[in-house]
Amino acid sequence: MSARRIVLTSGKGGVGKTTTTANLGAALAKRGKRVVLVDADIGLRNLDLVLGLEKRIVFDLVEVVEGRCQLRQALIKDKRFQALSILPAAQTRDKTAVSETQFAAVVDGLEGFADYILIDCPAGIEHGFRNAVAGASEAIVVTTPEVSAIRDADRVIGKLNERSLPIRLIVNRIRPEMVRSGDMMSVDDVVDILGVKLLGMIPDDEEVIDTTNRGEPIVLTPDSRLGEIYEKIARRLDGEHVPFTALTAPGLFGRLFGARKAG
Amino acid sequence: MSTIRGRGRSLEIAIDRALPAAIAELRVQLEERPAFFRGSRAAANLGLVDADLAALEALRDMLAEFGVTLDGVSGDESLAPLLAQLELAYLGATPAEEVAAIPRPRLKRSQVLSDGARSLVADFAGARADLAARRTEREAAALERQTPVGTPVASAGVTIPATPHSAPAGISTLYHRGTLRGGQTLHNLGNIIVIGDVNPGAELIASGDVVVFGALRGVAHAGAQGDASARVVALELAPTQLRIATMIATPEGSAVERGPQHAYILGDRIAIVPHAVADLGRREVPV
Amino acid sequence: MHELQSEPAPDASSQPRKRGRAIVVTSGKGGVGKTTTTANLGTALALGGATVALVDADVGLRNLDIVLGLEARVRNHVLDVLEGRVTLDDALINDKRVPTLRLLAAAQTREKDDVDTPAMQALIDSLRDRFDYVLIDCPAGIEKGFTNAIVGADEAIIVCTPEVAAVRDADRVVGLLGNRASIKLIVNRLRPELVRRGKMLSVEDVNAILRLPLLGVIADEPGVIIATNKGEPLVLDESSSAGAAYRAIAGRIAGTDTSAPEIPLPPTLLQKLGSFFGGRR
Repeated sequence: MSARRIVLTSGKGGVGKTTTTANLGAALAKRGKRVVLVDADIGLRNLDLVLGLEKRIVFDLVEVVEGRCQLRQALIKDKRFQALSILPAAQTRDKTAVSETQFAAVVDGLEGFADYILIDCPAGIEHGFRNAVAGASEAIVVTTPEVSAIRDADRVIGKLNERSLPIRLIVNRIRPEMVRSGDMMSVDDVVDILGVKLLGMIPDDEEVIDTTNRGEPIVLTPDSRLGEIYEKIARRLDGEHVPFTALTAPGLFGRLFGARKAG
Repeated sequence: MSTIRGRGRSLEIAIDRALPAAIAELRVQLEERPAFFRGSRAAANLGLVDADLAALEALRDMLAEFGVTLDGVSGDESLAPLLAQLELAYLGATPAEEVAAIPRPRLKRSQVLSDGARSLVADFAGARADLAARRTEREAAALERQTPVGTPVASAGVTIPATPHSAPAGISTLYHRGTLRGGQTLHNLGNIIVIGDVNPGAELIASGDVVVFGALRGVAHAGAQGDASARVVALELAPTQLRIATMIATPEGSAVERGPQHAYILGDRIAIVPHAVADLGRREVPV
Repeated sequence: MHELQSEPAPDASSQPRKRGRAIVVTSGKGGVGKTTTTANLGTALALGGATVALVDADVGLRNLDIVLGLEARVRNHVLDVLEGRVTLDDALINDKRVPTLRLLAAAQTREKDDVDTPAMQALIDSLRDRFDYVLIDCPAGIEKGFTNAIVGADEAIIVCTPEVAAVRDADRVVGLLGNRASIKLIVNRLRPELVRRGKMLSVEDVNAILRLPLLGVIADEPGVIIATNKGEPLVLDESSSAGAAYRAIAGRIAGTDTSAPEIPLPPTLLQKLGSFFGGRR
């Protein structure tokens, strides 16, 4: 059975693509899938960093393309999981080092190693974006419920539609209390505007910053609210029907402010 | 030297030394033409060589990396139960004349380095390919804190030469004053000295020594063309990764030793030694 | 002021106009607050009396207009000017709330590769002849969009959040900026409580790698998102502490504020209770 190749993109930077790629990949690996994560952000690589694997990089994607090493040599296996590996980007080059065809060929080469290939796309819609999309047959658009992010997501969806890629949406960094007070768009508003099927909703959570700084995927933290949400998204991605669960906003004294959907 | 021969539609792999070393040799050969053997099936002939379960498994896995499927192994009958555990066929004992006939060319020194590493125009990619070829099953040599015991450094009676000592022809030292930012690299056929920090994401690659008069937080590769007596010295040694000749070290934990440190190969690991007690001599280290 | 007249009031003195300063606001990593920073610093400098042109260099993904609340007024953009369809004067949008501020919007339906770098340099040069300050909002990344944004600027402001990925990207950008007259740092979205608990990098941690002169530190607050969604720069809101921080930074840029940047402290328990019972911020 061939691997599913999914690009995670957004247009706007900083909405959580890399963190989502890492955690969704980890969640899939936890479910026993063979997962390879590809960092397409040549020159500004970060996927290795958020997984704490930066010290083990010997070869990278550009060296694979240039034939200076084998694909297998460049893959770094994350020892915390049964079958999670990453293909790091180069740090000392730029995105013009690799063409769309070359990038797609590298992803082709990963077929034998993986059930899921997740491609972490750089911000923007330039060369790096085109490369990342060239390797994919599906897309997940990540956005936050902010006007600028949604505008950029919309642009990106347009570009993805040009290539006829099936698209699903993750809305990240939701603050339920702000939605309630009318200071933030609801997920329904976002889905309405973008017109794309929802895959997951992720609340804003300060734990994420610490775990990415430490290179620890949050799915490894026991009893983590966010970890559970990523696992649900992984199940949905895998074809399971998982309803979106209610989320309560934490108050100073733990009072319930009423349920808001998320998950 | 262990060899790979085609025999009909499959491969015959002749092993003539301890498996871990044989696996490393075979890897070098396979990497010269990585795609050539992909899809093949193979039988390994161990002759009189002993092997344990882990070594047999490592052989099978290494071949699998290049798309070669190991079907069975011939050799001493003590291998049979081990092979059964790995679901590999035991192909029987190797006949005596076959053992004698296994070719054993001597390993020439020049074969140790790849073409790239040997070229005068420092192609460090070649050196790194060689590095990967020589890596053992263990991931990376750990960094070790060591206070060398025993012989003090002989310093009495040092004479200053009348004329300044000049480096051998073709070897230079690259001197850089300033901090290296992520994504920046310095390469030199010779030594590299940086006055400033080397930030994470920056790389220094030298065929000789690397000296950082500042914090080394990026990647430094000394002896990149195979000189295992090369070293890395820094005021603050906190690299993302350290490479000397064909060894890679990944610092464990985030503890940063205070004060200047040297990193050089001692035995089969890279040792980190405070400057005050570091051995400054140029030792010959067999590769 | 008449809508179409976008030329700033001429200098009263007879001396030739001192060339304006061109500052690019950049970061490498996306989403750290470049656009918000450009909008707020520009507004603050203009409120102080200077003439300011803001240039959105994020072709294809423009956002500076949204943050300023001017998106409905955008008729022409940078590429229209570069390709000669419209004059610079006609493309500059003014902001009724801030008389000496002008915006040159980016094109939304084009690509960054469409912009010719020398032409961009010439554009920034001509803006410097007319304005005291030209602030350029740089896109994320280090591709052509970045190259175009930095070409006309001899000063840079790096915006960085206290996260390892942001610091790494910022360091790359500093390396690519090379020798510029001035490269300074703003640390954005600091959460002092998390720093105190050891769950976030401190300003010192960030600058241990970046080693840049610090212009200012801005604490994370929900008010920032609200303001950008509404298109109201924070510096116009007297009660916003982020707004105050931006105003101080603008003062440092202009040389009128010589105070050292303040690093926000974690709130005391009393403050937390006060904000819970008393109001949103």
